[in-house]
Amino acid sequence: MPPHPCESCHTSRAQILRPSTGIRLCAPCFTLAFETETAATITSSSLFHPGERIAIGASGGKDSTVLASVLQTLNTRYSWGLELVLLSIDEGIAGYRDHSLEAVKRNAEVLGLPLKILGYEELYGWSMDAVVAQVGRKGNCTYCGVFRRQALDRGAAVLGVRHVVTGHNADDVAETVVMNLLRGDLARLGRGTSLVTGTGGTGGEGGFASVKRSKPLMWAYGKEIVMYAHHKRLDYFSTECIYSPEAFRGSARTLIKNLERIRPESILDVVRSGIDMARLVPGAGGEGGSGSQRVEAIPRDAEDDTGGGCSGGNGEDAGGEMARVEETLRLNERAEEEGTETEIRLPAKAVNGQRHDRDGLHTGPPAAALPATVNGQNHDRHTHTPDIAVVPIRTKQEKKSGRKTAGDKLLPRQRLGQCERCGYLSSQAVCKACMLLEGLNKARPRTGIEVRGAGG
Amino acid sequence: MTGPPKTRRDNVAVDDSLCRRCQTNAPTITVRTEPLCSPCFNKYVSTKIIKRMESFRVRHAEAGHERVLLLPLSLRVCSIVLLHILSQHLRTQGEKSGRTGYRLHVLYVEDGKGEASVASELFELAKQRYPEHTYSTRPLSDALALPGMQEVLRPHQATTQASTTTTSSSSDLSTILAKLTSATSRTDLHQLLLRKLVVHCAQSHTCEAILWADSTTRLAERTLAETAKGRAFTLPSLTTDGEAPLGVLLYYPMRDLLRKEILSYTSLVSPDLEGLILEEKPRPAVSTRDTSIDELMKQYFSSVEREYPSIVANVVRTTGKLLVERVGEGVEGRCELCDVVLRGHAPERSRLCFGCIRILQGLEAGG
Repeated sequence: MPPHPCESCHTSRAQILRPSTGIRLCAPCFTLAFETETAATITSSSLFHPGERIAIGASGGKDSTVLASVLQTLNTRYSWGLELVLLSIDEGIAGYRDHSLEAVKRNAEVLGLPLKILGYEELYGWSMDAVVAQVGRKGNCTYCGVFRRQALDRGAAVLGVRHVVTGHNADDVAETVVMNLLRGDLARLGRGTSLVTGTGGTGGEGGFASVKRSKPLMWAYGKEIVMYAHHKRLDYFSTECIYSPEAFRGSARTLIKNLERIRPESILDVVRSGIDMARLVPGAGGEGGSGSQRVEAIPRDAEDDTGGGCSGGNGEDAGGEMARVEETLRLNERAEEEGTETEIRLPAKAVNGQRHDRDGLHTGPPAAALPATVNGQNHDRHTHTPDIAVVPIRTKQEKKSGRKTAGDKLLPRQRLGQCERCGYLSSQAVCKACMLLEGLNKARPRTGIEVRGAGG
Repeated sequence: MTGPPKTRRDNVAVDDSLCRRCQTNAPTITVRTEPLCSPCFNKYVSTKIIKRMESFRVRHAEAGHERVLLLPLSLRVCSIVLLHILSQHLRTQGEKSGRTGYRLHVLYVEDGKGEASVASELFELAKQRYPEHTYSTRPLSDALALPGMQEVLRPHQATTQASTTTTSSSSDLSTILAKLTSATSRTDLHQLLLRKLVVHCAQSHTCEAILWADSTTRLAERTLAETAKGRAFTLPSLTTDGEAPLGVLLYYPMRDLLRKEILSYTSLVSPDLEGLILEEKPRPAVSTRDTSIDELMKQYFSSVEREYPSIVANVVRTTGKLLVERVGEGVEGRCELCDVVLRGHAPERSRLCFGCIRILQGLEAGG
């Protein structure tokens, strides 16, 4: 790069061309700008309160390493008085976590922060390697995601912390937006762009699962995070999980990468679009709201919290997931079309009865994670057994009014309760992790003494 | 058994070597895994479009005072097919009830992309083949003469200067487009001006609605492209049937058909429609830095459309479920370029939305 003066201090030579702004800066000015912007995200949304205990989800990868470093810096610089602690999860995948865990340990020392490492084996009695040995490579990512989500919350509970921060960056959020558009997942489209989720309330409201989650690096470019880590000489170890990548996220990731090449600002534009769309999701309750500040205790499942090298999701092979969704959608379309060819009306009672079924159908088997959410209600409406001969056809009037006025009814509300076994926040009687574990444990061959950790 | 089985529940074994619907003819095309014969495919395409024209049935119209609907004809596949099918529809309406539910005004906008002579020939052919409609053409540069355009696009040029009236506006347009360095900005501005002009024409010809020929595939592309440009909030109002965000009702009768299905249709009609269609320039296979965002999405969805057509349709359906932003009329300021409501989608005291700011950033930089 031909010598340019830094556009901020006008003294040093510029070493960096910021992808987000196109401005040329020297390294110190860049890191300062990065830190200041992160601080702005935090203060403008009052993300932390003074003296708060915060657990940083540390995977050893670049995002969480930068996050920890920046938070430490800002905490000191602005005297926020935060108590920071590093929380790391060991999935028990040989050769994957080992190196990143070492990196986390080194970081903890350098930053002078306490570190807690929690393993799946310790928490659930099953490491990911053991899970894969048992169930193979189909659906293994579901287990990992569910377990990780609970692990972070349980870890937070162990540490007595009500707020966990993760290193999700703008690229991640943009990918999620695109992915949810491709999958037609309105519900997650409404949630994926929130800066904060969860309430951080006390044990009474859903136990330790109402832990607050936020992503302070939400507006930071992945590229700039790499640059920051480089110039601050931060120690990290990024890996991709060896178990399969998810088709939709992979497709979304390629699209985002290509978009970035054409127009780097488009990543932020996608995020902004996602936030706008979230407000327009029916039943989201965010109409007219101030964007990303909804702090309802929204129960989420595993797929909301992928990160740390995991491409996340259902662990099907690349073509598999998209083909499966395609199949489901096609059957729905066919059913709908055939329904309209025979105009038969059901008596009013049956229509209401059918609505009931629709809500009830949501407690599906845990392993079939995806189908229940594809298309939201449409899927369930058309899961007809051979006995139900017809599907009630809504006239054009009903369809139109259905869309415009009954906005909230389009997404069935999930009721919040607690898992019978472990007390975790769940919309079902038994939470997903407990259900998965039950399945695993039943099939497990007896091999001597098992030491079971805490929890269901 | 009398007649072909209409639903699967009739428990008749389906013969896969015959058309799935009529079970009589041999199939000539596979539509989303269903083999169909030409007549049934024909019916499939027409039905999907006519279903969307519910509000313009004969019973809803007064004799002699039929509503006029504007059909912007880009001379590409989708708009030609739409013209053909709607002409058929009107003919059928006329035969059945002696009058029609609506009239069509067909508009061609010359976009100065150098295809003008070929395009005008094709336009003449269309006029000859469907003489029952009214036709008009406008050059895209007319959009620059619309209120507010000069101020927005050339703010440094004083409006009292004589040069703005004497220089031809078409060279103005090419100058402006040439000044934009990114392909995305050029395509974006082009589309915005086109839409503005079409809306203006619809209003000046007192058309009640505009019938856009966008296919499912095109709408999916648009969803992703506008999302990538930060304009996702406009999607519900600009892709839902029956909304009037810009002052005129907008309809998308072809929204249930994939582009490849529409393409197949052209060869199954006789005489075929291929002679009326303006060919697309061949597109690069791989995206480069010079590709526009719209082009990127086109490439993406043409490959998704091949393997996973229902996913494409689902993207459009999902967007269709988003609520349309309701804003008080006249209270809020509107973007001077794209007419969207500014509140929440623009920086403080700006006259342009974020998306349009991006376009004009290229302009002010002077290339």
